[in-house]
Amino acid sequence: MSGQYNTALPKVLHIDLNSCFATVEQQARPLLRGRPVAIVNRRTEHTMIVTASYEAKRMGVTLGMRLKEAKQLCPELVGIESDPPKYKFVYHQLMRIMNDYSAHVRMKSIDEGVIDFAETSPDMAKRDLAEIGYEIKQRLWNEVGKAMNCNVGIATNRFLAKTAASLNKPNGLDVITHKNLRKVLTSLELTDLTGIAGRLEKRLNSVGIFTPLQFLDADEATLQNVVFKSIDGSHWYKRLRGWEVDKRDFPLKTAGRQYVLEQYHLPHDQILQRLHHLCEETGAKIRSKQMQARGVMVYARTYDRGGWHAKHMASLPFFSNEAIFAQAKQLFATAPDGIKMIAITCYGLEPTDAQNKQLGLFGDELARERAITGAIDEINARYGRRIIHSADTLKTQMIHEKVPFGSTRYM
Amino acid sequence: MNDEVFLNERVEVVATFGAGLNPCNPIKFRRASGRIVEISEIGLRHPTMQGTRMVHMFDVTDGGADYRLEFDAERLTWRLLMEADRV
Repeated sequence: MSGQYNTALPKVLHIDLNSCFATVEQQARPLLRGRPVAIVNRRTEHTMIVTASYEAKRMGVTLGMRLKEAKQLCPELVGIESDPPKYKFVYHQLMRIMNDYSAHVRMKSIDEGVIDFAETSPDMAKRDLAEIGYEIKQRLWNEVGKAMNCNVGIATNRFLAKTAASLNKPNGLDVITHKNLRKVLTSLELTDLTGIAGRLEKRLNSVGIFTPLQFLDADEATLQNVVFKSIDGSHWYKRLRGWEVDKRDFPLKTAGRQYVLEQYHLPHDQILQRLHHLCEETGAKIRSKQMQARGVMVYARTYDRGGWHAKHMASLPFFSNEAIFAQAKQLFATAPDGIKMIAITCYGLEPTDAQNKQLGLFGDELARERAITGAIDEINARYGRRIIHSADTLKTQMIHEKVPFGSTRYM
Repeated sequence: MNDEVFLNERVEVVATFGAGLNPCNPIKFRRASGRIVEISEIGLRHPTMQGTRMVHMFDVTDGGADYRLEFDAERLTWRLLMEADRV
């Protein structure tokens, strides 16, 4: 089966909002339409661009570029600070529209989602997917705004549907089937394929694979035993032929937050306050999913671009902000000087219920900690984010809510 | 950065409340200075929570500048939060 192309009717529809945050800002502020716009996370010239509008991209502005450098390329560039609640609203609007077509909707990130029509109702199954794609585009214009555009990709699996959605940006609709698969792959570079970046490209190059077409023609054994040296090789072999191998959900294993320090050479105690703030946000994230953690990892990047990290696996699970910070603080004592960015990750996450059944020797203390933390979370949920927090983080208001890239778990 | 001016100004708003997906539509508002701004387009309306209090943000324009109006659904008050891009 897997050696053949998947010749079934395409049933997967991928939707990708074009330059999502920039487009949402252009929708919200009509005077920005047609102008080059860059979305940044801070109101400073030294910050990196998170999203650029198509007008800015045409002038050579790319993601990750500093706003100051981008303005040299494009002097009329308008820098806008990101506004996560606005993007979350558009995300929920897109999800609402997609849910009208199938119960099998998976949002892949804040600006893209997949509808699987394989198990849809008989009425919906009769409809042409391209027609549904155009209808969703129209609904996005009618129900969110006329500046909103999206790309639609249709194929037999998630990977090819996403590839199709990236072919003609902005505002395209493309279908990849076994009939046009080779033609489509001819027009792409290896790194245009989702999941293939620098390191994997080098591995593929080392066995003489330089184009997606050569990748498609490689045999399964070579991919599995020589290139990927794992089952991933077999997955890529099937994925490229249109067979579904990505229909899976990943359990929550880690949660964290990072922050680029706003000043050079901040004193250690002030960096610790910011770390404390990140611990509070991470703790709230974990508890919102009824989870607790077993490990803490602290990471720092220094101005000489060096990375440093320290981690600790605890014998008992923990969940409160103070428990997370106590461990992070201890780990951070050995951090290097000249820190530019700090990050905290809690790992070894497990459902809270797993440990509630056996409280052990410190049962009373744990129960008290759980009750206090629960009460604080409840007050914050009722009266607003960070209504109650540690006095240590009173002066860390500069750490704003972050645009949730990647996972949509906390939307 | 952009030439946004952040404000927190109580304004008087004339709005229609009808049916459909966007039932509330501000038409015009009077600023503290007495200047009346006629809204030519509502760019985006999004609700957001401030604790348990629901507020609705309206990003609007009069064709000469973009504005952000906040409607507090509990207190039934309107505030002008931002003005930008006066041309």
